[in-house]
Amino acid sequence: MSFESILELIKSILITQTGIPNLTGGQGFMLCVGLLFLYLAIAKEYEPLLLLPIGFGIFIVNFPLAPLMGYTEQGNPELLRAFFKYGVEWEIIPCVIFLGLGAMTDFGPLIANPKTLLVGAGAQLGVFITYMGTLFFGFTLKEAASVGIIGGADGPTTIYLTAKLAPHLLGANALAAYSYMAMVPLIQPPIMRWMTTKKQRRIRMRQLREVSAREKLLFPLIATVFIVLLIPAVAPLMGMFMLGNLMRESLVVKRLTDTAQNSLMNIVTIFLGVSVGATMQADKFLQWKPLLIFGFGLLDFIICTFGGILTVHIMNLFLKEKMNPLIGSAGVSAVPMSARVSHVEGLKYDPDNWLLMHAMGPNLAGVIGSAAAAGMFIAMFQ
Amino acid sequence: MEKRFAFFQIKPWVVLMLLVMVFWPPVASWAFMDEDIEKPKPEFTRQGDIVTAKLIPRAKSTSVTIAFQIKGGGRLVDVKGVEIAKNMSSEINKKDFRSELFSVDVAGVTPGGEAILIVASPFFTKSTSYWIYNKNSPTQWMDASAENTRPQEGTQQFIIRIKDGGPFDSDGAVDGHITLIGGPRDSFWGYVMGTLFIRFFGVFIVLGVLMIGMLISGLIFQKIGKKRRSDDAPPIIPPAGQRLTDAMPSVKDPPEMVSQPEPDKITPELAAAIGTALAMHGAFQQKASMKDLNNTAHACAPEPNFWAMDGRRQIMSDRSMVFDRIKK
Repeated sequence: MSFESILELIKSILITQTGIPNLTGGQGFMLCVGLLFLYLAIAKEYEPLLLLPIGFGIFIVNFPLAPLMGYTEQGNPELLRAFFKYGVEWEIIPCVIFLGLGAMTDFGPLIANPKTLLVGAGAQLGVFITYMGTLFFGFTLKEAASVGIIGGADGPTTIYLTAKLAPHLLGANALAAYSYMAMVPLIQPPIMRWMTTKKQRRIRMRQLREVSAREKLLFPLIATVFIVLLIPAVAPLMGMFMLGNLMRESLVVKRLTDTAQNSLMNIVTIFLGVSVGATMQADKFLQWKPLLIFGFGLLDFIICTFGGILTVHIMNLFLKEKMNPLIGSAGVSAVPMSARVSHVEGLKYDPDNWLLMHAMGPNLAGVIGSAAAAGMFIAMFQ
Repeated sequence: MEKRFAFFQIKPWVVLMLLVMVFWPPVASWAFMDEDIEKPKPEFTRQGDIVTAKLIPRAKSTSVTIAFQIKGGGRLVDVKGVEIAKNMSSEINKKDFRSELFSVDVAGVTPGGEAILIVASPFFTKSTSYWIYNKNSPTQWMDASAENTRPQEGTQQFIIRIKDGGPFDSDGAVDGHITLIGGPRDSFWGYVMGTLFIRFFGVFIVLGVLMIGMLISGLIFQKIGKKRRSDDAPPIIPPAGQRLTDAMPSVKDPPEMVSQPEPDKITPELAAAIGTALAMHGAFQQKASMKDLNNTAHACAPEPNFWAMDGRRQIMSDRSMVFDRIKK
């Protein structure tokens, strides 16, 4: 073999079998984006459970020639494509996450004060306003719905709806949802202060009544009956959510509850994060729509917070016992972060005003509300 | 003075970036993003003299069928899908045509005569109209003024009268052959706005119904709980020399009132409890900070001493209504 042919062989190997000459500017940029999210997750601890696998998914999938998100010659999906296909496209992972969330959730504060369900509904305002706003920018109706649901601040719901309606926007939507959820303590307080007076922030609410174990046990069944009868499209999400909660409250399947809360939840979180990150390949992600989604997502969160607080103000016009409007912002879901933000804001103006449990009501209502909004959108496109 | 517009304390560059995104470049120039990724691709099947198109319209996830039939002279030769090209869409909003256009070929019509086209689908609504495109006509887009009827539940149909060589006939010739290009039209923004209100208030209705259900079930459970507590309560034994009725609290008295002592009856134990609560509260105020919020109660509680233990015992006993009744 001549020296020239050896050189030719090396050159051919370099070009066809290594990534270096195939690395594009876009991929380089996305590698940096992946590293940024890893930094935010590890150093800043912003939603690390999700941003770490998402960040690594973005990072790994943007290396050229890496056999991760394509299909083999036999038509089989490659590793991350398989996670994505069977986990997200088949809508399994978001529903399993809802099972785990249900197993973790104590509906006591919501059962004790069902009025807060309306706050959860009012906080969906941003979902629908953003839905309309995105249409002005050339988004299709399905894309607009999937972007709108970001404001629901519910990761699994966003992923579930986007995978159903606009799978090509999944990465951007999920990333925007989780990023802004992590930034709830930064986004919400200015809006809360803007929309309330000092006097309103000091409103004390009556202690919640005690909720019996039997009431908690029956809640998932009652809620399933009402929600699934009215919005059958949301049955996969709500069904799993309420199953998880029923397991928890029944107290007879502690092993299953423990698995749903911990092991199962952790496993699916890994697959979900990596799969979502893997959808953000440079050629698909670096386009106008995915980039605009981050702007709309922020707007969405702002309007949802506004909607929640506004709903409390409106309710207070009719209620004898006034509600503290700060708990309205917790209607955007983001459990339990936004409830904690309401509580902390309240403490700033009255150190004895413990709003946490009161804010958990709208917070849980927000989970149901965002799932209901998602169900509305799914039904609309059926 | 309180800042009413503290909201605008958001970093100016964020506000600027958002404004730039919204207002520049103008919305119209976002058309480059307006890629038609939901192109309906109809598939046609023929059964006798009825041609049926099966397609997934824009903003739908499931397929719908649209049936074409000719009555009153002439025969339906063929139906084809027609994409709305850019040069066709200057007068209309393409998004109004969720199923694109159809080209219907009719032959065997008496030259200059009329045929009736019937287009039926469960996809149509009462507000749907049928629009015709004729490039040879001065107004290229025309409302077919079709009769929109409901022949059976769940199906809406258009009855369109078409004349050979008339304004709807694309070939324009009086030759016994009619080519009609058109499609069902629904106002896109009307649909969007309608959806916006219906769906948003729909969420309110769903959660409102759930709220009512929970309020009712809550009342039932509270009643059951009350009944159970009163059933489980041990018999009240009056102190010596006192009648049973004197020992029981008045039925009219709410439970809270029963458990609250009168100011002149503050016992040393109760004073101890109040003192402990104040001590705990003071300790908490010193230590409470944003970081401690998760474990405040335990972190701030003082070491239990005699006073604290006595106070806690007092608090716990006051919670028990049965205990209160016996005490009285």
